[in-house]
Amino acid sequence: MKFFNLAATAVAALVIGAAGALANPYEKYAGSTIVISWPSNNHFKVAETLVDEFTEETGINVEIDYLQYLKLRDRQLLEMAKPEGEYDVVAWVVMWKGEYVNKGLLTPLSEMYTNAGLVDPDYDIDDIADAYLQNGGIVGGAKGYLPGKSGGLYGIPFGAETSILAYRKDILEEQGIAVPTTYDELTAAMTKLNEAGIPALTSRGATGHQVTAAWLFHLAPMGGRIFDDKWNPIVNSPESVKAAEFLRHVAKTGPTGISSYGFGDATTAFLQGDAAFWLDSLKIAALSRDESRSKVNGKVGYALHPTDARCGSETGGFAMGIPANSQNKEAAFLFIQWMTSKAADQRIVELGGDPIRISTLQANTQGFDEYPVVAEQLPCADPDWRPLIPEWNELNVDVLGQALTQVITTDDPIQPIMDEANDKIRAIMEREGYYVWQ
Amino acid sequence: MTTTAKPKWEPGSLTPYAFVTPAVLLMGVGLLYPVFMAFYLSFFDWEIGRDFADAEAVGFVNFARMLNDPQVWEVLGVTLRFGFWVILLEMTLGIGLALLLEKPIRGASLFRTIFILPLMVSPVVVGLIWRYLFDARAGWINYYMSNWFGMEPQVWLGDPQLAFFAIVFTDIWQWTPFIFIIIIAGLQALPSEVVEASEIDGANWWQQVFLVKLPMIKSIIIIALLMRIIDVFRGLEVMLIMTGGGPGRSTELLSLHIYKRAFETQQLGYASAIAVLLILVVFGLSLLILKLSNPMKTRSDV
Repeated sequence: MKFFNLAATAVAALVIGAAGALANPYEKYAGSTIVISWPSNNHFKVAETLVDEFTEETGINVEIDYLQYLKLRDRQLLEMAKPEGEYDVVAWVVMWKGEYVNKGLLTPLSEMYTNAGLVDPDYDIDDIADAYLQNGGIVGGAKGYLPGKSGGLYGIPFGAETSILAYRKDILEEQGIAVPTTYDELTAAMTKLNEAGIPALTSRGATGHQVTAAWLFHLAPMGGRIFDDKWNPIVNSPESVKAAEFLRHVAKTGPTGISSYGFGDATTAFLQGDAAFWLDSLKIAALSRDESRSKVNGKVGYALHPTDARCGSETGGFAMGIPANSQNKEAAFLFIQWMTSKAADQRIVELGGDPIRISTLQANTQGFDEYPVVAEQLPCADPDWRPLIPEWNELNVDVLGQALTQVITTDDPIQPIMDEANDKIRAIMEREGYYVWQ
Repeated sequence: MTTTAKPKWEPGSLTPYAFVTPAVLLMGVGLLYPVFMAFYLSFFDWEIGRDFADAEAVGFVNFARMLNDPQVWEVLGVTLRFGFWVILLEMTLGIGLALLLEKPIRGASLFRTIFILPLMVSPVVVGLIWRYLFDARAGWINYYMSNWFGMEPQVWLGDPQLAFFAIVFTDIWQWTPFIFIIIIAGLQALPSEVVEASEIDGANWWQQVFLVKLPMIKSIIIIALLMRIIDVFRGLEVMLIMTGGGPGRSTELLSLHIYKRAFETQQLGYASAIAVLLILVVFGLSLLILKLSNPMKTRSDV
């Protein structure tokens, strides 16, 4: 039966080949169904409309499996570890890319790019913001997760992001505070707002992944890193301690309850008007325009992520790729290519999502206050603001997430907390064999 | 083999086994197999996403690591502390309420229905309800505490002590009814002669409760206690949703720690080793209680 199918396809291909080029590249896959695993956040929710347009245009049916973003990994790993998986497209948080590739779960996109029948000549991959593409899609470069010649492309960014500063224009004006460009100015502004009884900067702060992310946003601009070039942990460096001190200041001057905030809670605080500043994902811009959730539409201004020792914003969000055990790889590739094309990127903007292409940002500066800021921020986006190694989850959950909770919920001296965390990280890295070359 | 001897297996003698077999099979498949697999897995180093055939057999490494892991002892401490408070308060409240509502008072059935409502709510929903009630910024608890009593807003789920209090409070809210129904059922099944006899003998209400009623339903109380202890060690959903175990590890119970080990840090072998510890602790505690007072041994009451 299988042979018959194969033979039939081959004959059909020959016949069509003889008759000339295919009428359209999607025809061969029309009627097939692909299953995609997506996070249930704003960008991917608004993209659902675009998925319908994809089906209409190509005839390829799409089933979307939405999950809360931190729950995606378990589900995707289980699916991709099976001999034949359900998922044809997965969207991963960029920090999981190393683990997925290391375990052999993803299809290298070079397999697809060597198939001329699949590749759209007008796609223009260079137009996709380099920071996004490198951070979400390239795996195996320098340190395993940074750009580099040993790297390969496994995914295309979709719902990718960097960090910008969002501020309440009305509050800053009322308090006579200039828009901060450096961390010193931001710190002073936070103190001043706190004295006026206004919650200053909202932030994530819940134990584990969330509080660590909050600290990392400040670590990179302050000149800190988790590891030096030889995988020696340096989270007890003066820069790290300074970032932790800043985070403690954030928790003390920000809205009530930061130590229990996840991304959603931090967002809600800003959207409900309970914070003057936001320093996190650019996703806040689309959210604050959504009148059903936001009380601050029209009152929000955007600025670059403040600088300290250097400029450096986060690189995060999602990228889409194809599981190695997908049964519909070609259709999956066509889907990813279509969803990240220039036309679709423009549609994403119209629907209220976040574009990935420089040309889209440039073409839409009129309608969206944050786009010029994002376009200016992207060259500063730091792909090494966190180490995307397979051990990162353990370091995050067991060590940094615990230490930083202590930083924001107590008044204990910070240096000893970070010293202890540093020793723990070293022990884990030792156990995982990172020092065999030394 | 003799054919004259009375056949050892009369058809009728098999009947009890026939009744028991489905339950035993279910237990075997649903319970013993996973326990056995957890034990087996604890000797391997394995992550989801890799072939189990490639997993490295590591012997007792996971167990050695567990014994030296301060995190495990910390969460075990949290679990025991949590168990102590919730069980103490739930038993006191549950038994107290049962004694109060045992007599036919006006509206008793209404009260009883209201009291057992929390028990019917799924733990996930309970976690969500209380998470929003305790919310620092928009929660009702902070709202009314500041409106009625002028108290400063508290970060209930973001402060180690308050978060611990919050999960204890939530657990009491949900599980006191469980103790309540079991005890009230026991009280109502008490032979009325004994109670009347004690009344005739001139016992007052307190004497009746502590010298007659409670001793007579002792085995029921112990069963309720046992079930609650096991529940405490299984508890996961409510904490996972309310606090995620935080801040720090202040509300991370043992089973939540195992969950995080297995699914967040992907150390399935090590998580299994801790799960084995969990089984041993629960087994040990259950055995201890049964040894102190085995409800199966004496069939006199109820």
